[in-house]
Amino acid sequence: MTREINPAIGAMLKNARDWLTHEHSLFRSLKLEPMLIGKGKATFAVDLPEDFAGASGAIHGGLLTIIMDSIFGLCVFTALDKLKPIATINLRSDYLADAAPGERVICDADCIKILDEVAFVTGKVTTKNSGIILASGSGAFMVGTRGLTKASRL
Amino acid sequence: MTDKLRTFLAQSNIANWLGFSIAEENGALRYALSFDEQHIGNPAIRALHGGAIAAFLEVAAQCELLNALPGNAAVRTVNLDIDYLASSRAQDMYGRARITRLGRRIAFVEAEGWQESKDRPVSRARFRLRIDANTQT
Repeated sequence: MTREINPAIGAMLKNARDWLTHEHSLFRSLKLEPMLIGKGKATFAVDLPEDFAGASGAIHGGLLTIIMDSIFGLCVFTALDKLKPIATINLRSDYLADAAPGERVICDADCIKILDEVAFVTGKVTTKNSGIILASGSGAFMVGTRGLTKASRL
Repeated sequence: MTDKLRTFLAQSNIANWLGFSIAEENGALRYALSFDEQHIGNPAIRALHGGAIAAFLEVAAQCELLNALPGNAAVRTVNLDIDYLASSRAQDMYGRARITRLGRRIAFVEAEGWQESKDRPVSRARFRLRIDANTQT
């Protein structure tokens, strides 16, 4: 496996980045900013807006899962040799600390293996200022899904 | 829906973001996500974001547990596992949850979400939650 991202996938990621930060309502509200993108590696800075607080006033864990699912998926794209659609098969999240609304965090993801069209990703979410780990996760993604609009996502 | 759940949802911004609501159906709680453009993951396939589905099922699991606990208990999710069983569409999602084990400090709750038919779940998740019996909710 080469260390370089396939140029076609690099171009797609750049388009995806423009789209993620400018047009898409969910990702725009998270103020997604790429910090490091390499083959099988992705690190993004993200906001935790107050809109995603839970009843306790702290950020709801669901937002951390939203962030990990997104960045883990982008990370899979960086590892591919040819652009293919992907779909999350399953995801696991551990919630390790509460975060305050308005906090800026770093999500880093590592695509550790692709075996028989299944990509394995691990990663975590830490606070940008103090490096406190908020969540840790792992996921499996199907590479090369059949049909984009109908049939099963797998 | 009990006053406790109504208060819980009213205090939860993410429940508002999800368009979360609860109805009673045959004595059980049925949860709903009211579709909004913000819930879209990849616009090319117009499906719900997998994380939004996870967040919806997590709030459902928390409600199911809170409803089974005495009035002043609070819950905190420890961790979760979620399977994406079928593709989702850009429309409302429904959910149900079940407590598989209610311990003194930890509860195990399963939740599943569907769109067209209850028989074709889009997603199923397992949650472990820490119960804090002394906190005011």
